[in-house]
Parts: sequence; C-alpha cells; structure tokens
Amino acid sequence: MFLTRSEYDRGVNTFSPEGRLFQVEYAIEAIKLGSTTVGIATPQGVVLGVEKRVQSPLLEASSIEKIVEIDRHLGCAMSGLTADARTMIDHARVTSQNHAFTYDEQIKVESVTQAVCDLALRFGESMDNEDAMMSRPFGVALLVAGIDELGPQLFHTDPSGTMMKYEAKAIGSGSEAAQAELQDKYHKQMSLLEAYKLTLSVLKQVMEEKLDQHNVQLAQVTLDGGFEILNETKLREVIDAM
Amino acid sequence: MAQQRSFNPYTENGGTILAIAGADFAVVAGDTRQTEGYSIQTRYAPKVFRLTDKAVLAVNGFAADGNMFVKKVKQRLEWYKHAHSKDMPLQSIARLIQTMLYAKRFFPYYVYNILGGIDEQGKGAVYSFDPVGSYERETCRAAGAAQSLVQPFLDNQIYFKNQTGEHPTHLPLPHVLQLVTDSFTGATERHIEVGDGLEMFVILARGRGSQELEGVAGIREVTTSDERERVFVINRDLKRD
Amino acid sequence: MELNGGSVVAMVGKNCVAIASDLRLGNQALTVATNFEKVFPVTDRIYLGLPGLATDVATLRERFRYRVNMYTIKEEREIEPETFAHLVSSTLYEKRFGPYFIEPVVAGLTSPERGSKPFIAATDLIGCLNFAKDFVVCGTASSKLFGVAEGLWEPDLEPDELFETISQTLLNAVDRDAFSGWGAIVHVITPEKVVTRTLKGRMD
Repeated sequence: MFLTRSEYDRGVNTFSPEGRLFQVEYAIEAIKLGSTTVGIATPQGVVLGVEKRVQSPLLEASSIEKIVEIDRHLGCAMSGLTADARTMIDHARVTSQNHAFTYDEQIKVESVTQAVCDLALRFGESMDNEDAMMSRPFGVALLVAGIDELGPQLFHTDPSGTMMKYEAKAIGSGSEAAQAELQDKYHKQMSLLEAYKLTLSVLKQVMEEKLDQHNVQLAQVTLDGGFEILNETKLREVIDAM
Repeated sequence: MAQQRSFNPYTENGGTILAIAGADFAVVAGDTRQTEGYSIQTRYAPKVFRLTDKAVLAVNGFAADGNMFVKKVKQRLEWYKHAHSKDMPLQSIARLIQTMLYAKRFFPYYVYNILGGIDEQGKGAVYSFDPVGSYERETCRAAGAAQSLVQPFLDNQIYFKNQTGEHPTHLPLPHVLQLVTDSFTGATERHIEVGDGLEMFVILARGRGSQELEGVAGIREVTTSDERERVFVINRDLKRD
Repeated sequence: MELNGGSVVAMVGKNCVAIASDLRLGNQALTVATNFEKVFPVTDRIYLGLPGLATDVATLRERFRYRVNMYTIKEEREIEPETFAHLVSSTLYEKRFGPYFIEPVVAGLTSPERGSKPFIAATDLIGCLNFAKDFVVCGTASSKLFGVAEGLWEPDLEPDELFETISQTLLNAVDRDAFSGWGAIVHVITPEKVVTRTLKGRMD
C-alpha cells in the first residue's frame, strides 16, 4: 500500500500529489497493531468486548483499562495507542455533562461521537499558539456504545475523524478475521447473551493465549442498567455459558 | 462639585405577560403596549414569540434586552437542530434559558421570561424565570407591571386558593381564554402601563382537536411544521387610555 | 407605611356595603400581633378602615371619635357618610406637611331619610378624596387587592354575594403580600343590621 511513499509522507499536514494525508493513513495502520476489540448492537442493548493482552504474568490484569464509561448511557472501547484515547474520553465526558447541564437531557450517542471526531484533525502547527494543536494525529480507534431515544447504537471512530454507525464491528489486530466472523454470525434480533457469546467466540478465535476471565473484559449498555462492565462473577458465567 | 454624567444601561418598558398550562394545551399572552415613564412608545410591540411549534416565549421588562434575548434563544435552537437532528424538547429549552441568563449574572438581561408549551409527554407546561436564570415549572404565572394585580386573581381562579369544595385539576380551554382576557382587562383598568392590545398564543398538543377555537374572533393559525402540534394567535383590543 | 403592614378593602353592593381588613400588626418582617383591628364603627351605619402606621391608627380613631361626637352634639343628628368622608379629608389635610401615615377607607349607608344608599370612599394620606362607585383598596396589598377586585366585582351584589366577593378579594390578595394577613375580618352593612364575620385564612 505504501510503495508510493515519498517526501510527502513526513509532513503531518502535507497532502501527497494523489491527495492523501499519509500521516493520517499511517495512524490508521497503527491501530492494526492494537489489541482486538469487538462491539455488537442488539435490540436489548450494546455489548463491548476487548482482548486485554496481558504482556507479563507479573502485570496486574485489573489495571488494564480499555473499556471506559463516558456517561450513564454511554461507554466506549479502544484499540491502538490507548494512551492517546485519554484526552478523547475526557472530551467526550465533558461534552456529555455540559449537554446535560445546559439542556437537562442525555446527549445523543451520535452527537457525543461527533464531538470526539471533531478533535481528530486538530494536529500540526499553530500560529502564535492561538488554539495550540496536537503535534500528530491520534493513534487510536474507538467503539462508542450507547442508548438514546433512537435505541441502542454503536459507532466507530478513527484518526481521520470519520465516524460510522455499525451493527457489529471489530477493530485491532484480529479485526479482519473477527469482522468476517461477525458478518457471518450476526443477526438483528440477537439477545444480549447471544451477543456476549458471539463476542467471546470471536475474541477466542483471534487471541493467541487461551481465553479466560483475566485476559478479556466485557461491558454492556442497556436502557435499565446503563453502562456496566461485567464483574468477575458475571464474566465467569458468560464464559462458562459459551 | 463637577457635573456628574452617567448612563443607565437599563430602562423599564412596562407591559404585562401571563401563561397558563392546561391538560393538553398552553396559553401564553401579553399586552402590546410599550411605555417609558408616562409616555407610550408604541401601542403595538409584541412581547410573545413562537420559538417552535411546541414552545412560545414571552419576555417582559427592558424591551431591548427582551428582544435581543429572544433572538439569541432562536439562534441556539437552530444550532441545536443542526447538531442533533431534532427539535429541542421544552424542558431543554427551559434549562438552556437558565444557562443563557446566568452567563450574564454580573450584567443581567433585565427580562422576566415565561416559557409555555407542550412537554415531551404531551401535557401543557409553563416555566417562569427571574432575570438571572432561576426557574421553575408551574401551572400558571403572571409577570411584569401588573403582576401584583393579576397573579392573586389567577391564584383564586386557577389554583382555587381560599376556595373550599371540589374543583377540577385542569380547566377547559375556552374558560382559560376567558380568564386571560379578564385578567388583562382588569389590569388595563387599574394600571397605566397596561393596555392598547392583547396578543394570546394558544399551543395545542398533538392530536388535540381545535373545535373549541372555531369561530373565535381574530384568530389565525401560525403552525409551521407537520409535527401536528398546532399554534394559534388571537388578537384583541384593550383600552387605549 | 410599610413598618406595620396591613390592608383594607371596601365594596358597594345592592343596598349594602362591605368593608374588610386583615388582622396583622408587624414590626417590619416580625409579626407582633394577629388581632390588630383596623376597622372601627363611627356610627351604626358608617365604618372606617385605617390601614398604615399603627400608632396613627390608634390616634386617628380617637380624633375621629372626638370630632364625630362633637358633630352629633352640635347638629343633633347622626353624621352622613359623605360628610364624614369630608371630615376625614380635612382632618388629614391639617397635617399636610407632617402627615398621618394612614390611607383611610370609609364605608356606610346614608340615613333612612336619604334612602339608605350605599357609600364608599377613600383618601390618600393628605386627604385627597376618591369617591368610587365600585370598590376602594388601601394598604400594603393594595395592588393585589386592585387586581382581584377588578376581576371578581360586579354591580348589584346581594349582601351574601357581596360577602363572598369581598372575602375572596381580601384573602387571595393578602396571600400574595408578606406584610398583610394573619387573619381577616369582614363587616357587611345593610339597612337593618351589620354582620361581622372573621375569615379562616392562611396564618402566615
């Protein structure tokens, strides 16, 4: 893909003669090295699952945070340079609270996702530091899951600032195989439990280590319960059910 | 002592506004006289504005601030519609008005706002505000020069205060319109800053028939969308002395 | 005028008049008494309401008692309501540059010889007379009284209807005034008798 690389791929803000922003495209490549992350939307709610990728047995698996809450009705999972996601998540949280404060209502899933995507292209050099920008694009993709008046929704964001709505999506290193599996097995009327089982089966296929309750994490967003990361007990139940 | 010059950024333009929430409708009314001191600036200056087909805002106090505030609220409604692909629900408009007013806490809009319309559950609603954004949902509220004349009358006739015996929780539309008209004719009699004309906005919830408004003198419909909430305006004369 | 609080209203009916007041005596925000009457009989058929500064209420009550007694003795007849109203006016104007802080309300019926006609009047604190045909209001809740009275009053109310109307006017108006309330009293004057009733209202 990058056989045509030339001087044009070094400057963060430089277009190539074909009209490509190489740095943005390279950032998208960086995500393909990240841990696999899966999201599935069902009529009952949205399910998120991540491969934790515990690099060492001395690593405290519980400290790995790849699924986070944005608001009671919103959560997201990340893949890629996960540290980059911290500012994005914070922005999403602040946007959500500002909206609730100003309008006395929960923000739409699409709106908060759009707010995050609006950050993506603010990189490069700023003139006299008016609105200082980032030096490089974000190297992380997000799966934003939430429920609003339009029902359960799942959105994918990437470093180009594009957002797309999905019924089911996988990102990260095993995403190609995972996405194919999702396309095969997903159907619109899945129950939450079926979605969990599909998520785990997809993760199991692409993970190198044997899947257990310590190297994956699952979460859901439902109307009644809001955003919830499954605790050890529930996680074990779902794994056993698989 | 040297001559002191000063500029007072505020003035009072008189007038009175009133809003009443019914079971499935809301009425928002205001007189049309604008005064400064003992002078009448104009006999027709609207104080009640249609924001959406579900929301009507009445502004009273300092007219310049009132008119500007309405403009800014309308702008925010448009931005919201583009950003979120939907109309702002009434309770969100109420909250927005609070934040807009409080943003100028140390140089306030000298305006008493009353917002009336239909809530997300299809029921009539009225929200009233002070100049720096304190707000509350109520069944009825009067504001402006003749507030002290009109509000106790409404307490008696709408909330049935100091009356014993059974009374309905919500009143029918023709009765409410009569109460509004009577409130304003009474205020016009006894308060010099009230008079000339009365403009009443009636907002009907989705699916609520408009038969009771048939044949009402001086009525015209100003509904814009097909959302099926409907907005009507009724104009009446008031004494011009 | 806002030191002690209190309000009075009077209304005209069909061959009757009514006059009503609250019972509060305050010291600014503090309520000191809830039995402070502000409406006094002048004759059998004339009642005088005195809202305003409490010390002047007491003083004027005594001054008018003196003057009306002198009138009765000299004229060998009872004073008529309109005459009494003028007496009130001139008494207040005597103190034009150091007035009593009271805005009196007069309500009564003319003598039987003159037809027992209803009469009400009010003056400002320096004696400017207002002869109203419908109702008069005074006190800290005056603007509220105006509003409710304008909405509820209609001509030719019978004594019982007038009682209800004036009661609702007073109660709902004082409920919107922090300085008036804490009890209410209503006098309905007809050619045969005067009926005095205390109202049950909010005690706050």
